[in-house]
Amino acid sequence: MDAAAPRPKDNQGEPLPRVDGRLKVTGQAHYPADLPTGNIAYGALATSSIAKGKVTKLHLDDARAVPGLLDIVTYGDMDKVEKPKFGNSGATSVGPLHDRIIFHDGQIIALAVAETFEAAEEAAQLIRAEYEEEKPTATFDSPGTATIPAAGKSPLFKEDVKAGDFDAAYAGAAVKIDQRYSTPTQHHNPIELFSTTAFWQGDQLVVHEPSQNVTGWKVELARQLKMDPGKVRIVSPFIGGAFGSKGPMTPRTAIVAVAAKRLGRPVRCVTSRMQAFGTQTYRAETRHRIQIGAGKDGRIAAFAHEGWEVTSRPDSYVVGGTSATGRMYDYGSILTHVSLVQADRNTPGYMRSPPETPYVYALENAMDEMAVALGMDPVEFRRINEPKTEPIGKKPFSSRSLIQCYDQAAEAFGWAKRDPKVGAMRDRDWLVGMGCATAIYPTAVAPCAARVRLTVDGDVRLQCGSHEIGTGVRTVAAQMASERLGVGIDKISVEMGDSSLPPAPVSGGSISTASVCSAVLKACDAVRAKLYAGATAEGGPLAGSHNDELDLADGKIVAKSGASAKVEDVIKTMQVGAIEEYAEFAPKGATPEALKKLYAGTPEFHGGEQDEDSVKYAFGAEFVEVRINRYTREIRVPRLVGAFAAGRIMNTRTARSQLMGGMIWGIGQALHEATEIDRRYARYVNRDLQDYLVPVNADIKDLQVILVPEIDHAVNPAGVKGLGELGNVGTAAAVASAVYHATGKRIRDLPIRIEQLLA
Amino acid sequence: MSQPSALSATGLNRRSFMTGTASAAAAVPLLGSPVKAEAAHGSGAELRQPVVTSLRINKQSYELSIDPRTSLLDVLRDHAGLTGTKKGCDHGQCGACTVLVDGKRVLSCLSFAVMNGGKEVTTIEGLASSDGALHPMQQAFIDHDAFQCGYCTPGQIMSAIGCVNEGHAQSEGDIREYMSGNICRCAAYPNIVAAIMQARDETKGA
Ligand code: FES
Ligand code: FES
Repeated sequence: MDAAAPRPKDNQGEPLPRVDGRLKVTGQAHYPADLPTGNIAYGALATSSIAKGKVTKLHLDDARAVPGLLDIVTYGDMDKVEKPKFGNSGATSVGPLHDRIIFHDGQIIALAVAETFEAAEEAAQLIRAEYEEEKPTATFDSPGTATIPAAGKSPLFKEDVKAGDFDAAYAGAAVKIDQRYSTPTQHHNPIELFSTTAFWQGDQLVVHEPSQNVTGWKVELARQLKMDPGKVRIVSPFIGGAFGSKGPMTPRTAIVAVAAKRLGRPVRCVTSRMQAFGTQTYRAETRHRIQIGAGKDGRIAAFAHEGWEVTSRPDSYVVGGTSATGRMYDYGSILTHVSLVQADRNTPGYMRSPPETPYVYALENAMDEMAVALGMDPVEFRRINEPKTEPIGKKPFSSRSLIQCYDQAAEAFGWAKRDPKVGAMRDRDWLVGMGCATAIYPTAVAPCAARVRLTVDGDVRLQCGSHEIGTGVRTVAAQMASERLGVGIDKISVEMGDSSLPPAPVSGGSISTASVCSAVLKACDAVRAKLYAGATAEGGPLAGSHNDELDLADGKIVAKSGASAKVEDVIKTMQVGAIEEYAEFAPKGATPEALKKLYAGTPEFHGGEQDEDSVKYAFGAEFVEVRINRYTREIRVPRLVGAFAAGRIMNTRTARSQLMGGMIWGIGQALHEATEIDRRYARYVNRDLQDYLVPVNADIKDLQVILVPEIDHAVNPAGVKGLGELGNVGTAAAVASAVYHATGKRIRDLPIRIEQLLA
Repeated sequence: MSQPSALSATGLNRRSFMTGTASAAAAVPLLGSPVKAEAAHGSGAELRQPVVTSLRINKQSYELSIDPRTSLLDVLRDHAGLTGTKKGCDHGQCGACTVLVDGKRVLSCLSFAVMNGGKEVTTIEGLASSDGALHPMQQAFIDHDAFQCGYCTPGQIMSAIGCVNEGHAQSEGDIREYMSGNICRCAAYPNIVAAIMQARDETKGA
């Protein structure tokens, strides 16, 4: 069988090809900057060349002299517009054109609009600014940073988790480590460039922009422009990769909307790859100190995790991954603390598994060190410390299949053949190392709405304002409808990515499949109920049957007795042309305001560690083989095996692809990705795809994803755990573990590069 | 030359380079015959004068009046309405804009449109036959789920066809190496390799 389409096991759906596959291979999938818009004017951004200070003067004459220039939007032109807000729908509170203060390098100072893209670019580059410049603070250890505790300072981070008496337990532990780890700045770099196209139809504003949160943006943009949200529409039918970068809206959107209004004409601004580094969000650099103390038997008695994260001056963005690392193993006692370090930088933001990527990397690298210190097999070490309940609140896990994941991945990888001695495995000029690590990601779900219409011809139209960022959400939503309504997938059309559709939550936090499928399930079941009522009504084709004796399959309602009626005929007897249902799904434990908040673009998340009954996480285990050239220290990763359990798998094809993509992201984190910062100017240096390294085809060879069957009814009605962010969590630590095994060098600062292995 | 300077604040790209620093002299060797004479003696302002360019795209003829600085990529997207070809960097670093010019793969963001007069340009829109039958490479990409977001996909598919026609798809290792100019941030790489292996032999004849 084709590797891309794993045979479904228990509680796993068919590997149907993506419903939008044909559009994507023919160039007909329209990403926002592809949507046809007549009479377009082109915008190009001018950005600051300093990171801190004030703009004292702007020279616009040269730009204005460019033939074809139509307008320049700059200071003063946004005065009637509200400043952006920092939060789930807003990337930053900095209103770059509201005042002349510069908070970071690459901040927008003007938008040039012209008849052609070429003229707009030329004009933007001719805009010169004079500054009153101050010395900026770049990052950790730069003079001028301010360090504040995250808890209490940021609404995104509630508390530093702790349990038991760490100090006493650590002091008394027979074997212990106390180490520091770090992760670098990273930028998402989706291949689709960031863009905004805005046009006005009377008093209505339409924005075409890649977005993971059309409802949230509609509301936030309307607030900034002081409009009725009902008059703002965000359209984003396909998104060319997101990874969190298109979750919060940036200030550019309102600026382009204002430009379109001034001109009375559509304006499109495609941000250059270089400018995106400063005008979008990114994963901030982090530092960690981890202490683990254990008995000689390997049982952990004490665990402490202290984290530091860089953020901007105006906004306290925080990821705070101690919430997950503190619940990973049966520690005995736990102490954690998260601090924010403010610098003159743009505000960081969500990037694929924002808390877990850095924090679990540090934990898992430390776990590997601890296994070495104990002289214990790293898999065995984790097995010994597998918790029965989560160690902080002592709640049960709704399901936890970590050990099954380890067993299946270890078997497929051939872990038993590993010689545990450091440097013992060689293949000619290559030092071979094998390592492993745990992946974890919280399982959350949010309210979501969906509309489903079944016509007399058996066609289904499914509408939901979620977002196709490549996860396959259109496909799995169609699969859910196909299953519940008994119609073929080819009869279903799916509409998504438009704020005029029923609202869905932000496509972040790996909640989409669970939230969308739960809403679609509810809508389909309402359609079913109507159909059943029609079928069993007096004079109906199945009169006398009870609803619970009926099922829908192949366009027919089938009764237990064997009698059946065509859906088409039932709809006809009901004397309607179609049955349409609008469903609003709210998860268990939702507050009375939950649905209102969904429409307001501020959906509640439930699950993870927040629920009363249990904590909800998905788990995985990853094994990698590294090969390090004994002369050049070139590092290759020829083999990866990951086993993951994530409740019900809607589609094994799209699930495998997401996990595979995540694991390869993990390779990027381990070996390639780092945005370099020029400390003198607080400026990103490698602002393009030539120097910001990401994995390419030649970096990946043999990669295997194992989908471990798991049933979890507690997480949500669909029984689905998200997995889009699970795959990249364990990989970097597994690579660090394998590098140690090959060379005896413990690398604690990512990415792992040749130079660290040469020393 | 066409790379932006990482150290300058705004960077210098090929557009400002041509109109600003370079003026006409440096631009001459870059430009194709239709505007060569004009450009050679022109000032910066004249360089921006629209030129009428004839292009063959997907077996159709186009007569377009364009700013001579316009890349083939922007002409496809903004002037010919063929938005299947994608912009991922505009600097020749990602491969999203790959098209075939006279059967060879070319990064359309690095090629001025005016350099392509008289050549046959094939884009993703030109692959499927008029009855809707997909090119074997397109079908293979669906079969092997060789994409997620799909944004790099038109470039991957055009590059894959070019790769096969160059004879650089002899083995999986070959494919990995010769497809490494096409970045897939969703990281569908193993599936892309499998798709090319499937479509390779059929593509040779197509
Ligand atoms: S857009 Fe041409 S290579 Fe990236
Ligand atoms: S499919 Fe998303 S970048 Fe390749």
